[in-house]
Amino acid sequence: MASISATMAPAERQRRLELRELLNAKYLFIDRTWDAVFWITAIFVVAGAADITKLLFAGDWDFWTDWKDPQWWPVVTAFATIIIPSALQWIQWVAWRFPTGATYTCVCLFLATWIGRYFQWHIAETYPMNFVWPISTVPAAIILDWLLMRTRSFVVTSLFGGPIWAIMVWSFNYIPLAPFLQPVQFMHHILTVSDVQGIAYIRSQTPEYLRHIERGALRSFLGETQYVSLLFGGTLAMLGYWIGQAIGRFLAVWPIGRYIKTI
Amino acid sequence: METTRGRAEAAAERGPTDWHSAWRALFWSCAILLAINLFLWIWDYTFAFTVGLNSASHSFTLHYRTLFWGELLSVGIFAGLWYGWLVRTGMPLDRDDIPPAEEVRRIAMLWSIIGATSLSIYIEASFWPNWDGAWHQTMVRDTALTPTHIPMFYFFFPLSVVLALGAYIYGRHRIPAVYAPEKGFPWSFFLLISAAVLEFVQVAFNEWGHSLWLSEEFFSVPFHWPFVAYGWLASGMFAVWGETILRLFQIEKSARGVEEMPVEHTAAAGR
Repeated sequence: MASISATMAPAERQRRLELRELLNAKYLFIDRTWDAVFWITAIFVVAGAADITKLLFAGDWDFWTDWKDPQWWPVVTAFATIIIPSALQWIQWVAWRFPTGATYTCVCLFLATWIGRYFQWHIAETYPMNFVWPISTVPAAIILDWLLMRTRSFVVTSLFGGPIWAIMVWSFNYIPLAPFLQPVQFMHHILTVSDVQGIAYIRSQTPEYLRHIERGALRSFLGETQYVSLLFGGTLAMLGYWIGQAIGRFLAVWPIGRYIKTI
Repeated sequence: METTRGRAEAAAERGPTDWHSAWRALFWSCAILLAINLFLWIWDYTFAFTVGLNSASHSFTLHYRTLFWGELLSVGIFAGLWYGWLVRTGMPLDRDDIPPAEEVRRIAMLWSIIGATSLSIYIEASFWPNWDGAWHQTMVRDTALTPTHIPMFYFFFPLSVVLALGAYIYGRHRIPAVYAPEKGFPWSFFLLISAAVLEFVQVAFNEWGHSLWLSEEFFSVPFHWPFVAYGWLASGMFAVWGETILRLFQIEKSARGVEEMPVEHTAAAGR
């Protein structure tokens, strides 16, 4: 704890004395159990909200290695995965000055997606985990929280954090994806390992005409379309950040102590 | 579940936040939820591929339509019994002179119900949708009552409604300082209950969309997006925690006879 010296400004000294008294107060009814119950039970609703947002906005790209293309994947994933972390950033920063909202959310999401993916996709449906592994947003979340801590500004965090989020999510998950992008010769065609996985594991309800992957060309960028996608993903992530802020501000914190008087 | 003041006073040796007081309701309710979830998962694991592919077969009727009706009936019976008991035992309670320890215990009990609701929301929003995606992106559906829809849409979706509404009924009768009907309907519970109800209503829209627009399972299709938006409304749960935390500090203040309480740490910074 910061020391309290006689040379401090009176206002600062008073504030630190009050905080020390608060920390050392002996409460009659409140103990650490409340903190534990709050943060542990919140894991479930946060994980559920984050996972359903990712599943229904960008789930198809997250389910399969052959869907992780350079065109759609960087765009939709950045948008879908920043929303709930942003909401928790607001809640935790405003209430407790914790720069941990995004990391907390993404750790909860990581646990939820791996439980779902392992038990529901691998055990129940027998898909191999190396075909249906989910992405991790934890490293990007740490950086987003660090940004908030350093800037203490949600506006600056969104302006810089959005593009950084898109780049970090793609970069950190490109590492496990890279082995599946190796070229193979399959039935006289050059494909990637992930394409062969997609052919080998029959998915009757997601036929080829349905798959939103690798449409168009944009060969003027020498085929490196992911950098353009990352730019769009970054701007969409800024939008997603403020959707998350609206959730945190108006759905989580604003209703505290407010009542509907008339219909 | 201890609810009356008499029983609470009889157990006065236990603190309001001790294990035997209110938190055990949290652990037991979550344990029961997880046990039911495990049962349904094992049921699907055992029967989904063997009898779940042809909804016109007798074995499908035997294993899945009975499960469907059993789930709806059990949730309905649970809701009726629980709500009836909450109201019958809650209405006679004295609202004016609640001992601080008893009120703290009731807030802990409310948090236990909210914790069970949180777990139910996770199971409905993450655990089962994963199998729903895996199943429906693999199998061609021939009915809306598929092996993965039945546990998800027709047990945990209505159960979340029941738990959220039950939490409000508990607070309305037992924590009048925060949830007395004279104050109006709390926005926190309005959002939380709306989230659960609208999610259940969205089930119908989802199946209509799969019938009319897209029978394939593209998870990111627009008629799935209301599931997400309605799920965001469950953020009202944080407001329930926030306003009960503020009440805890008020109780502490009145119990200690302290004139001023520092408020920097409270959750109302947004106001």
